[in-house]
Amino acid sequence: MADLALVRPFAVRRGMAWGALFLLGLVLFALVLVRRPELAGDPATVRRLGDVLLWHSLVPRAATALLAGAALGLSGALLQRVLRNPIADPSTLGIAAGAQLALVLALAFAPALVAFSREGTAFAGGVAAVGLVMALSWRRDFEPVTVVVAGMTLSLMAGAASAALILARGDYVFSLFIWGAGSLHQQNWQPALVIGTRLALGVLAAVLLLRPLNVLALNDAGARSLGVAVGGMRCLVIAVAVWLAASVVSQVGVIGFVGLAAPAFARVSGARRPGEVLLAAPLIGALLLWIADGAVQLASAGDGDVIPTGAAVGLIGGPLLLWLLPRLPHHAPPMQAAAGTRRRLRRPGRALLVLLAATGVAGVAALVMGRDLDGWALASGPVLAELAVFRLPRIVAAVAAGGLLGAAGAIMQRLTGNPLAGPEVLGVGAGAGVGLAAALTLDPGAGTALLVGASAAGALGALVIVLVVAALTGFGPERLLLAGIALGCMGLAILSAVFATGGPGSFRLLAWMSGSTDKVGVDEARLMAVAALVLLAPVPLLVRWLDILPLGAAVGTSLGMPVTVGRLALSLLAALMTALSAFFVGPLSLVGLIGPHVARLAGFAPGRAFVLASALIGAAVLLVADWLARSLAFPYQLPTGLMAALIGGPYLIWLLQRGGGENG
Amino acid sequence: MRAELPRSTVLTRRTLLATLAAGIVSVPARADTRAPRVATLDWALLETLLAIGVVPVAAAELVLFREVAVEPPVPASVIDLGLRGAPNFEALRLARPELIFNSLYYAEAEPKLSLIAPVETISVYRSGGRPFAAACEAALRLGAATGEETAARALIAGVDAELGALKDRLAQRAGRPLLVINLGDARHFRVFGRDSMFGEVLARLGFANAWQARTSYSASAPIGLEALARFPEAFVVILRPVPPDARRILPESALWNALPNVREGRVAVLDSVDPFGGLPTARRFARLLAGALERGRIGAGGVFG
Repeated sequence: MADLALVRPFAVRRGMAWGALFLLGLVLFALVLVRRPELAGDPATVRRLGDVLLWHSLVPRAATALLAGAALGLSGALLQRVLRNPIADPSTLGIAAGAQLALVLALAFAPALVAFSREGTAFAGGVAAVGLVMALSWRRDFEPVTVVVAGMTLSLMAGAASAALILARGDYVFSLFIWGAGSLHQQNWQPALVIGTRLALGVLAAVLLLRPLNVLALNDAGARSLGVAVGGMRCLVIAVAVWLAASVVSQVGVIGFVGLAAPAFARVSGARRPGEVLLAAPLIGALLLWIADGAVQLASAGDGDVIPTGAAVGLIGGPLLLWLLPRLPHHAPPMQAAAGTRRRLRRPGRALLVLLAATGVAGVAALVMGRDLDGWALASGPVLAELAVFRLPRIVAAVAAGGLLGAAGAIMQRLTGNPLAGPEVLGVGAGAGVGLAAALTLDPGAGTALLVGASAAGALGALVIVLVVAALTGFGPERLLLAGIALGCMGLAILSAVFATGGPGSFRLLAWMSGSTDKVGVDEARLMAVAALVLLAPVPLLVRWLDILPLGAAVGTSLGMPVTVGRLALSLLAALMTALSAFFVGPLSLVGLIGPHVARLAGFAPGRAFVLASALIGAAVLLVADWLARSLAFPYQLPTGLMAALIGGPYLIWLLQRGGGENG
Repeated sequence: MRAELPRSTVLTRRTLLATLAAGIVSVPARADTRAPRVATLDWALLETLLAIGVVPVAAAELVLFREVAVEPPVPASVIDLGLRGAPNFEALRLARPELIFNSLYYAEAEPKLSLIAPVETISVYRSGGRPFAAACEAALRLGAATGEETAARALIAGVDAELGALKDRLAQRAGRPLLVINLGDARHFRVFGRDSMFGEVLARLGFANAWQARTSYSASAPIGLEALARFPEAFVVILRPVPPDARRILPESALWNALPNVREGRVAVLDSVDPFGGLPTARRFARLLAGALERGRIGAGGVFG
């Protein structure tokens, strides 16, 4: 009761505005009711059918929108509170994508599990995702940007894995597309009831946890001294939030960014105390989703929604993050100096040569080793000559793309001082995907030249937007990262809307999403190799900047370095490298994260050798991944990018956990 | 929209034989005494080849083909090339085809395919196209390329005759509206329009397609289940696979059970049919549909049994 008293001033101040929005929702709902299509048939049947449609489809749809919006809003508010992170929500933490991947996995390999408990499956996926994100960002003390970078990388990975599965399991393609885009069509009350009961339990838990949550808002030491079991409490709150989000995903699919928007709007409307935010966020989330769904229903002509509600709401995620950027508190942990105890190579030049030789040996091995129709075989003589036409281009493409991604990752990490800043989060890959999607929507039979052009245009467009946003905010490294993530969010929402249409173009888009090198021909491979050399050539000249930038802008300026120009040039270079490799091996592979970390672990000191070593290691990883992708399930091919992520992901987590991920 | 491929990439039978004669020492003097070794990525072409008695040396995604298209049966000798969207070129090379049939769906693979053998592009499904006529043309072209023109003409005549016979058998139901759908989950379906193979077979059997709105490439985008209420007169034909949750939830759904089609038993679930097949698929769909219509009324709950 005391909390309600606290809420009152806020409610009085902003009640009017939200009341108006509620009226808007009502008007939209009324319009939907009025514009119902007329039914044919005898009057008795029509009346009965009309009643059923109203009470078992339209009304539960509105109820589901309100309840799902509220559940997501509460989930976001809890996550933001407990992580002290204003941009945490089920989408940015990878919970929604993890839950979706778990459902896709279950439907592909154990349909009985889905029939038994969709919710449990989704919850397991969401918990796994959030656990991974926490593990990745633990060394950085759950610093907001790092958490979200880890979450978005994970979302992209889960998206690619889902794409690969959808491609490989043709039977339920149609179902899987629908889930990914979050549609609110209803034919009974079950989803509303399921989400409603979870929401009620979530609200109860939030009320009980309110006091500990207030204490958690202090720092950990303060909370501990007040007698709060910090770790256990944090886990409990996160579990409640994940459960809320997972129940929504399992019932209606992925609905993005309501959890981000609702608490943000609550704070903007003047909610300050945790109690106020926790009360206002579910209400605002409910209104948001209800209004969005009403608009989507009105826009559709009765032959299916133009775009599913989830994808439509997802589109607000990007602009919202951009808008939140300047409001983020600056509390990135200070850059840590390289630990004195760390091993350092005495002769990095020689080590580079060893790496080069090892990559070469791996390349030759990949060329001759493989499977034929009878089993494993070493190719030689005329057979090798025949197979080399197919193997060589993909080996060259894998090496070039891996090298470019490794170098881009090294540059990005030095530039932003964030060990999780891979090239994937620049938004360039997602931009390339949107370009491809546009071309394939307009012309499902588009030729390769048109596709290359479209994806290059998309990548370039994304790059320009990211750079403009970063420029407006002075090229701060965090701003650059967040602008890239924001763009990535929008890209994903657009892609899932295209997938939901399920046309022939979406299959080609899926193939690109999951990442594969098998379409690379001799000409493309040659182009890739030349482009890789051209883009890697200027790296030695930029090494001084790379060494100075992590020390901060002030140090850079005092050393006479043009900080802004330097950041612009390096961002441009990293983005070009990413765009080129993304077209051939898909939007992600984790190679850009793995390369630099392994290079640092191997003892390559910052500087020229570091970037080159990252590039070489990236090349080797993608080479091996490509060989595995081609051989493991022969004659069925696995996606190369996913394979690389599967090899590198667990290793990366282990590496970051044991502390190798600090800035060197 | 994409124009048909330039004429030069389309092989005539004569250039094909010349290529074969030039490239293969062991070709006998009368090359057309044996069918060339062919391969294909496209399922519509695969089933048409099998139906005219040509067993390809390699074809794509056979595991799923056997589940979805079901017939004709694929002999074990056919090498599986992996996913249609990501065929294994090495396996195809080792299968040593002399001619590869491809469709516009997998146009991206063409540069690599043409490194292995000459490629002939035959597309049954094109934006705004008419798949039944295209499937007949595909059969003729496949027959011409493999020296099985007679079998191809026989296939077309056979399918035509069978559809005609089924139309006569179902004559008393002529003109009734049918709705051919796929269930995505318990809340969504997509519908096959006039530009789909199913739509064309319906027309040939003398039925009306209840779905008159636009579709793109055969099927519509996902539609909410409640839209079924707009077609109270239609006989609803559901194609497999039916997702597990739809099978569980729909029999208990108030909306589903209130639909006049469901109440009056005008719903049937057909065995699996490839939505993007050729003439054998058209025949399979017609047979399954006729069987379902003649079985008549089914209790609402028993549809998914």
